[in-house]
Amino acid sequence: MSDMKEKIRNFIVENFLFGDAGELKEDTSFLNDGIIDSTGILELVDYIEENFGIKVEDDELVPENLDSIKNLEVYITKKTQSAA
Amino acid sequence: MNSNNKPQELTLCAHCILPETFPGISFDEQGICKYCRQEEKKITHLDEKKEEYRKKLDALIEGTRNVSPVYDVILAYSGGKDSSYTLKLLREKYDLRILAITIDNHFVSPAAFENIKNVTDHLGVDTYFVRPPWPVISEMFTLTAKADVFSKTTLLRASSVCTACIGIVKNLILKTALEMSVPLVAFGWSPGQAPIQSAIMKTNPGMAQQAQEALLNSFPESIRKKIIPYYVPKTYFEIYRDRFPQNIHPLAFFDYDEKNIIKELGQIGWMEPKDTDTNSSNCLMNAFANHCHIERHGFHPYVWEIANMVRQGVMEREEGIHKIYSDQNIQMINFAKERLGI
Repeated sequence: MSDMKEKIRNFIVENFLFGDAGELKEDTSFLNDGIIDSTGILELVDYIEENFGIKVEDDELVPENLDSIKNLEVYITKKTQSAA
Repeated sequence: MNSNNKPQELTLCAHCILPETFPGISFDEQGICKYCRQEEKKITHLDEKKEEYRKKLDALIEGTRNVSPVYDVILAYSGGKDSSYTLKLLREKYDLRILAITIDNHFVSPAAFENIKNVTDHLGVDTYFVRPPWPVISEMFTLTAKADVFSKTTLLRASSVCTACIGIVKNLILKTALEMSVPLVAFGWSPGQAPIQSAIMKTNPGMAQQAQEALLNSFPESIRKKIIPYYVPKTYFEIYRDRFPQNIHPLAFFDYDEKNIIKELGQIGWMEPKDTDTNSSNCLMNAFANHCHIERHGFHPYVWEIANMVRQGVMEREEGIHKIYSDQNIQMINFAKERLGI
């Protein structure tokens, strides 16, 4: 698992699963599986802006970017590459 | 699990008021919780962030004023202190055309109804009341009072009963904004209720649809069928794709001082209800909802919100402790139980 995925995973486990990773996989849907609710998504946005140095625009707040560890990795990589 | 919620029997964070029973919490050698430590850096820049959001709201309002035929903004109006103050702010500071929508969940305090009439008359604001029939509300509240149907994360910030009720409120407001082509929807969330970056945010159709489906799927089929008319119809996510409004929570970035708010509201006819609990100024169900949550989880469902407010310095720690660790009013608990037949 990449460093980025590991960091995201740790944040999810620590803040939303209270240390119990259970069945969390790379493609587990945060919303569908009840791991994060709509307010929690905003806390996640706050975390990735703070830790990966990107700005999430309103029109990027879509499940395709934010709803799983895998989607987040693809999205953050794309954002950081386009900013470079 | 300690379900007594007595501060003398619990270890509380030495800075905010989160208890040892809060999920995932840990304390450092100074007795400060990990959530306070995580927020330290952000709190330092909070004033600048609030200023940035006030400017953002000014610009947003100038860009959306008079764009819609009848209303500039729909406010979710409970009649409580925070939504009343939000209404006052939007009307007096921004002179917006506002539609206030109140969901009557059958537990609205009579004093709150009086406040709604006084405030909207004084400010010259239209009000819609939506009152789902008692069998719908009764079944939904009975289920959520007896069991948790939502995710663990959701239950960190609100009781099951409140989450069920607010689900109707949020989605009915969004549905109405789409139907009436209103560009803004406003809520009176306190500065502790949601992160500041959510205080001005465009609702994304895909995210809203997925969040709505996840919430609806938490309910058993019998209830889901009854509450679905208050949610956004699936077709709206496509046909009104370009109408999705901006959400605004102004109290997250304007000065928030509870005593001052109550004083200012007094000038427009709002009186503090005497029949509600320490965390609500409109709902007679709240004490029972809190009681059920504390019994099941060992922490108060408002503690996350109030701890955030203490951390941000908008509420004194002692006041926070009073709000969270006072006993729930037994008469109010019994009132709600009797009404629901529990």
